[in-house]
Amino acid sequence: MNKAVEVKNVVKVYGGVVRALNGVDLDVDEGSVYALLGPNGAGKTTLIRVMTTQLRPNEGYVKVFGYDVVNQASKVRELIGYVPQEVSLWSDLTGYENLLIYAKIYGIPKDVRKRVVEEVLDFMGLKEAANRLVRTYSGGMIRRLEIASAVMVKPKLMVLDEPTIGLDPSARKSVWERIISCKKEFGVTVFFATHYMDEADKYADRISLMSSGKIITSGTPEELKALAGGDKVLLKVSNVSETLSTLSKLNYVVVSKVNNGEVEFIVNRSAEALPKVLKELMSNGVEVDEIKIHEASLDEVFIKLTGRSALQEVGRIKEVISARRMIRRGG
Amino acid sequence: MVKTSFKLTPIFAMAEMELRRLRHDPLEIVTRAIQPILWVAVFGTVMARVRAFPSVGDYVTFIAPGVVLQSSTFIALAYGIMLVFERESGILKKLLSTPIPRSYIVLGRSLAGAIRASTQYVIVLASAAAVGARITNNPINLVLGYLILTYSCMGFTSLSILIASALKTRERFMGIIGAITMPLFFASNALYPLEVMPPAIQALSLINPLTYTVSALRTLLVVNTFNILNDFLAITAFVVVSIAAAMKTLNRIIE
Ligand SMILES: Nc1ncnc2c1ncn2[C@@H]1O[C@H](COP(=O)(O)OP(=O)(O)OP(=O)(O)O)[C@@H](O)[C@H]1O
Ligand SMILES: [Mg+2]
Repeated sequence: MNKAVEVKNVVKVYGGVVRALNGVDLDVDEGSVYALLGPNGAGKTTLIRVMTTQLRPNEGYVKVFGYDVVNQASKVRELIGYVPQEVSLWSDLTGYENLLIYAKIYGIPKDVRKRVVEEVLDFMGLKEAANRLVRTYSGGMIRRLEIASAVMVKPKLMVLDEPTIGLDPSARKSVWERIISCKKEFGVTVFFATHYMDEADKYADRISLMSSGKIITSGTPEELKALAGGDKVLLKVSNVSETLSTLSKLNYVVVSKVNNGEVEFIVNRSAEALPKVLKELMSNGVEVDEIKIHEASLDEVFIKLTGRSALQEVGRIKEVISARRMIRRGG
Repeated sequence: MVKTSFKLTPIFAMAEMELRRLRHDPLEIVTRAIQPILWVAVFGTVMARVRAFPSVGDYVTFIAPGVVLQSSTFIALAYGIMLVFERESGILKKLLSTPIPRSYIVLGRSLAGAIRASTQYVIVLASAAAVGARITNNPINLVLGYLILTYSCMGFTSLSILIASALKTRERFMGIIGAITMPLFFASNALYPLEVMPPAIQALSLINPLTYTVSALRTLLVVNTFNILNDFLAITAFVVVSIAAAMKTLNRIIE
């Protein structure tokens, strides 16, 4: 399979002091959805900014469809659609006007420009709102309009920096529905950064966990969750000893705890394994009264590997932002 | 995948963006015009009555082009704040990932800022004429005056972009802009003829691009001739140098 993105040993140091990327390696297969998952300050945005030709790496290289982001930057720019973490629209223009201006900046030919913009607005479910000022849009609409501006240019690679940051669950869902339908429609490769575990788990083919400027581990969601040691299942049963002897014959199950009438065991991919387990138990005459499942989460993997959570610590956002401002001021 | 051609469309697109913005919110242009209108209508007519500068003829007519310039350069010089905002938002990041060369960002934005600034030309000149300034009604001169003003304001906008790139924060930026705008105005021939200035200020005003722009506008609009070649060359030198310098420093605002 062809590589859409190849990142090799990338180091990025801001202002000679902040080592935001500290030797990053990853490969994104063409046509896949790839998630970069990590907490605040992990370096996700920095990697994306290097990938989208905004910043030069201090060491290492990034190639997009074989083109180097430093030496062949203009080639790379023709292949990517990009949604930054912060809002990239002019809020005092309408949705339509924003796309029209971007269409001209991207050099979409005059004879198709209007049609392309109208089609993509329709595709993103923004037809009705097209002539309203962006200032009046909801967060979800803003994100959809930005994704529209990224797909409008028919990119081979879409780079999305926290596409659903700050959105409520239903807006997040609708943004993802659009991203997925773009992928289906145009076969575009999607690379996104997030700190929402569930999104990486649900939508990505592959995930890299990032912390302190390094990739800690990469794999499919299943592979990563297996690192957490699998799902925990707790059964309340009529006959504990019969249950134990049945389970001991199943090689994909490990019993972890037994206590009056309850058996806890660990299994990978409980959603698929559990029906089989229950069938075995029933055919041996065991009645199951209650089932509790605790699925392994990517966060557990994260904690296991780094000792801290990937979940956004809400109280910290402000500090991070003000700390960053200080760095920018150089003071 | 869209094939990009090396056309100037992206530069004009940024100017178009500014015009559309103005259409949605014309209020700023009007409020910005209040102060210059007072300069002409109150300061100008009072000074005309005391005949402070007999050499210049009608004083209101004399200062009209200068006040247009003052008002326009103020807007042009403040325009760089947009880049500071756009750096904090995602717009600059997005523009940097588009296929346009980085120099287009400076060119496009300085044209955009100049177009915003040049709106003062119409408002202030009309107000000056209303209080008795004798401005030419030759359409060619009027259009040329507009173009010269816009051209010169491209220089002031890129100067502003340059300052924004170097300082990176709004507070510092606003501080500097506030500090240079009025001195720029006073060290020029906008309000009084060069001859009456003390030698030091006179020397300053001779390296002040405002002086040449005011002079060109006076020639076109008041004297009613086309004798502006020297002024045009001086303005060109200023525009070229500040655009080139802004292109060079833009990289600093990116990180
Ligand atoms: N322009 C900059 N100048 C200096 N330091 C920066 C700059 N941008 C980011 N950093 C620092 O680099 C590190 C990585 O930041 P980055 O924005 O890449 O992280 P992130 O994973 O995207 O975090 P978040 O989830 O908050 O967006 C942080 O320590 C941050 O403070
Ligand atoms: Mg980020």
